[in-house]
Parts: sequence; structure tokens; C-alpha cells
Amino acid sequence: MSVLFDGFAAVLTPENLLFAIVGVTVGTLVGVLPGIGPALTIALLLPLTFNLDSPTGALIMFAGIYAGAMYGGSTTSILLNTPGESASVATSIEGYQMARRGRARAALATAAIGSFVAGTISTILLSVLAVPMARFAVMFRAADYFALAVLAMVAVTALVGRSLVRGLLSLTFGLFLGLVGIDSLTGQARFTFGSVNLLDGVNIVVVIVGLFAIGETLHLASRPGDVPSTVAPLEPARGFAWLTREDWRRSWRPWLRGTALGFPFGALPSGGAELPTFLSYTYESKRSPHRHEFGKGAIEGVAGPEAANNASFSGVLVPLLTLGIPTSATAAVMLAAFQIFNVQPGPDLFDEGGTLVWALIASLYVGNVLLLLLNLPLIRLWVKVLQIPRPVLYASILVFATLGVYAVSGSVFQVLLAYAIGVVGFFMRRYDFPIAPVILGLILGPMMEEQFRRALSLSNGDFGVFVSRPLTVVLLSLAVLAVVVPYAPRLLARGRAPAKVALGEDD
Amino acid sequence: MKGVTDERPEGTAPAAAPSGHLGPRIAAVVVLLAGAGLLVRAIQDAVQYGVTVEGPRLAPLIVTGGWVALAVAYTIQCWSAKKAEAETAAEPVPRPSWLVPAGLMAALVAYALVLEYTVVGYVPSTAVFFVIAARLLSTRPVREVILRDTVVALGLSLVIYVAFTRFLDIQLPAGVLPV
Repeated sequence: MSVLFDGFAAVLTPENLLFAIVGVTVGTLVGVLPGIGPALTIALLLPLTFNLDSPTGALIMFAGIYAGAMYGGSTTSILLNTPGESASVATSIEGYQMARRGRARAALATAAIGSFVAGTISTILLSVLAVPMARFAVMFRAADYFALAVLAMVAVTALVGRSLVRGLLSLTFGLFLGLVGIDSLTGQARFTFGSVNLLDGVNIVVVIVGLFAIGETLHLASRPGDVPSTVAPLEPARGFAWLTREDWRRSWRPWLRGTALGFPFGALPSGGAELPTFLSYTYESKRSPHRHEFGKGAIEGVAGPEAANNASFSGVLVPLLTLGIPTSATAAVMLAAFQIFNVQPGPDLFDEGGTLVWALIASLYVGNVLLLLLNLPLIRLWVKVLQIPRPVLYASILVFATLGVYAVSGSVFQVLLAYAIGVVGFFMRRYDFPIAPVILGLILGPMMEEQFRRALSLSNGDFGVFVSRPLTVVLLSLAVLAVVVPYAPRLLARGRAPAKVALGEDD
Repeated sequence: MKGVTDERPEGTAPAAAPSGHLGPRIAAVVVLLAGAGLLVRAIQDAVQYGVTVEGPRLAPLIVTGGWVALAVAYTIQCWSAKKAEAETAAEPVPRPSWLVPAGLMAALVAYALVLEYTVVGYVPSTAVFFVIAARLLSTRPVREVILRDTVVALGLSLVIYVAFTRFLDIQLPAGVLPV
């Protein structure tokens, strides 16, 4: 526990608090923009932290940016019905209905307070679980890491999206991008096509900006008649009490249930927040005493998924910080951000850079509090941001996307590469290929290959190394199950059906 | 590829089967060909350098081989699918415009090249790009929005330039700007 207090001591300096405040505010500002989710927000805002002296400050800012981006995303979902990422889709279903019925403030408040509650509880769980998990992670051998990476990729691909073939193709594309460049173990070039620019590989920021920012804008531009003109959000009369006593009574159980779903699903490699948010939505819509209100703006349908969404992020941090394995697109960008500051997540992080990781965890608590303090009062500002005309907004996104890549790489080649990947992203959206597996393939692929080869060179080429340890066998079996289970029995298909309907309705 | 789907006059509902099928079918073939090309490349490298399980030439073979296998499956799905696949594969959006995305791409590429290879500099090139991109994305008449777009374009590019060069120490091409 004392390490956590050291973490707080590191965070609660005026300078770092300022980083946290800037992060939360800028993160919300960007996250509010329609179509921009947390992953892209972090990628676009990476340059802001380049010249910070201490990695602590930068990580605190990222925690703030992330928290803000997430909250901004829920604001957009509620007021505009334009979720920036799949994890906000569940929130938008009831949230938008509430806003349409003049209960926008209540929806925003239950989202914000629910996020705070879920964020705080799950960060406590993270603080408690991280050290035992890191101790456990020390026992992981190369073969186990390989199996874990396989599990993470396969599970995410099977669980996200509607077609396994398209999901796996997305994953393969990501794996291919991960191969480009110099091989980390032997220094040999692969798929560089004779270009010096590709020797360093394909940067994750380039891919994220390309797929999310450029791809999304091109996709939107291809559907001119389809673009919803800015739906003016309803603004009920001013009052300090955002939630009535009845709202509180109806919200607190969904908050806790959402947290209970979000954290474990985040910690397991299951694609982050998409699954728990929909499970929470489904649960609330089936079990709530107010279930007849669902579809017409039931507050439980906002409170639960929003809490699940937030809790799952702290859950995602468990494998990210202790094992260095990202299990969602956002976690993959966070990992890239860590690496820019030469921070390599994994069990060692808790030994050597202990203060850093506890400062990060402490800043999650602080970020949660700041969000609550800053965002509800500033809601009018965020509404203004939402009212930016679409052409101006998307032209700005293109400018910032170009700037982000240019600032990170300083090379016009990388900018053009991001554009090219954007074209791929455009067609992926058009033909319904999921995006997240690309990111995970790019990040986890090289990791997986390295551990695979390391395991085999230690065993002198004996493949028995992948079945000789129980842990490896368990992880690999789980990976097989993740592919097979959604297909074999109808049980899981039935569980997922409401999610599919909801996704379809949302468009 | 772009022209083919562009000129379809019909296509109001997802029931308009042919137009809904064509896009994914072409995409499938493109994905397959790209995968095949990369697999050939991986095989060439494997032959040249030799493959060992611990070496760097195995993973490219597996990945591109998997790519080709999956692309074959996807192609078969797209070409044999009647309804079920088309519903999810093609969006029920009437007549996608390929012109606007193509225009945006052209503007983006021109913007990046001007930024790097001319002395125009960050602020003017960004401002011009912004106005063009906003125009391409807008459906309202030029005279209604041109003033707004221009003001935003100049303001945004100036703020970015000053913020990045002065406060973040990240250099952007100054160009013709008297700094």
C-alpha cells in the first residue's frame, strides 16, 4: 500500500496535477468530436507529450487523456447518437433516447458519476491485483507469452465483429504490418521492398491515424446523403441537481453490476469494453424493474454500460502493466506511448520502475476525480464542440491527423503511408471488416513471433516446449476454445444476438 | 475499381442485389491478389535465405499463407453468397459517392507533398488544404460557407503553428511566413 501512497505523492505535485488537468480537458475536447474514440485521441495527442522531461508527467497526462476521451465519447453518444467506438454503442442506445426526451443532463450525469464509481472501484481492484499478478507473471516463460499473445489475438478477433473470416483477415493484415521492417532478433529486413523508410517498421501511430482518422473521414465522405446534420441536443432547464433521488436509486445498482462485468472482461483478453458493455445493457434491459422503459430512455441502460466501459479499462491495464500484453486497440496505443518513453510494461515494471507504475495508477484515481469536477460543469462547452459543422470538423481531423504523423515521424513518407492505410481503412469500413484486430495484430504479432522463436531456440527446435508446461497448454486451449465456442453451441450465439440487433439499430 | 461501382443508378435498398455484391467481390479479389503477391515475395525470401523455425523467414510464410487461405475463403463467400452475406457485407446506403473520397485523397497527397517539397510552409498550405477539404465535404453553396471556412482555416493553422513551434518545440516548415 505504501507504494501507492508514494505514487500519490508523485502525482500530487502542482506540475503533475497540471498535466493531469490538461490531459483530462484536452482528452475530453478531442474525445467529444464525433467519430473519434480513445485510441485515436491518444494517437493524435502523442506529440503533446514528446518534450516532457519526465515519463511520469507524460504517463499522467495519458491517463488524463484516456479518461477524458472516454467521457467525451459518452457525451457524444448521448447527445448526438454518434458513438466514437464500439464500446460506446450500448450507451448511445438509451442515452440518446433520454436526451431526446429532455433528460440529457440526467443521462450525462449518470454516465459521469457511473464512470467515476466504476473507475474508482476498478482502480482499487487494479491496485490490489497488480502486484500478485506481476509476481505470477514472473513465472511466464517465452512459450507462455507466445500462447498468451495467441489467445489475446484470437479471442479479440473472434469476439469483435460479425464474421470470423473478415475478422481473421483484419488480423492477418495487422500481422503483416507487424512483419515489415528489420527483424528484432537477426537484423534481417522483411517486406521493406528496398525502401529505407520501411526499415524501422510501420509505426502504430501511423496505422491508428490512418485507419481511424483518415479511413473514417473518407468513409463519411462517401456517404454524403447519409451524414446526419448536427442533431441539436436538447438542453433542459438549469439546475444544480442533475440526478433526482429516483435517478440515484435506479442508477447505483447498474453502476455496480457494470463494474462487476467490466473489470474481469477487461482483464481477460476479450477485446476490451465491447462485450461487457453489451452484456451490461442486455442484463439491465432484461432484469430491470423498469425494463418496459428500455428503448424509450431508461437510465439503467446508460448507467450500466458506462460503468462497464470504464471498469473494463482498469481491467485491461492488468495484463498491459503486468504482462505487457495489450488486449484492446486503446491498450495497444498506450503500450506504444509507454515505449516512446522507454517504459516496457511487464513484471519488471513493478520491481525497477515501481514509482512510475504506481504514479500511473494513482493518476487514474486523480483523473477520475478531475473528470467529475471538470466535466459536468463544463458540459455547455462540450455541447458547443458538438455543434461544429461537419465539413469544418472533418477537415480539422484531416489536418490534425497529418500533423500527428508528421510531428511523430518528421517524414512525409510516413504521412503518405498513413494516407494509404487510410484508404485501406476506408474499404474495411465499407465492407464491414473490424478495425481492432489490425491494431492488435500489429502490436502482438512481433511480440508473439519473438517469444515463439525464443522458446524454440531455447528448446533447440523442439515443439514439445509448447505442450510441456501446463500454463502454455491451458492458454493455447483457451485460444482454440475462443474460436470454436461461438460456433459450436447455440448458447453463446443466443447471448450475443441482442448485441447484434443493437448494433444494427444504431446505424 | 472505383469507376465500376460509381455509375450504378439504382440501389435504394439492400435488396438491390447486384450492386451490393459487386463491391465485396472486387474487394475479395484485390485482397486475394495482394496476399498472393506477398506470399510469392515471402517464398522468394525463404528460398534465398533458407527457413528455420527460429529464423526470421518462417513468420512471413505463415502470415501471408494464412492471408491467402483466408482471402480464398472470403472470395468464395462473396461470390457464392446470395443474401445473408450481402446484408452484412454491403451497407444499405444508397449510391456511395467515390468522387468525394477520391478528391479528399488527392487533396491530402498534394498537401503532404507541398508541405515537404516546396517553400510554401505550414500555415499557407494547411489553410488552403483546409478550405478545399471543407468544400469537398460540404453540400452547401460556396458563398454561404467560404468566409467561415477561410477564417477557421487561417486561425487553426496559425494556432497549430505557434503552439507546436513555440510551446512544444516541434518544428514545422515556416515557409513564406515571416518568423
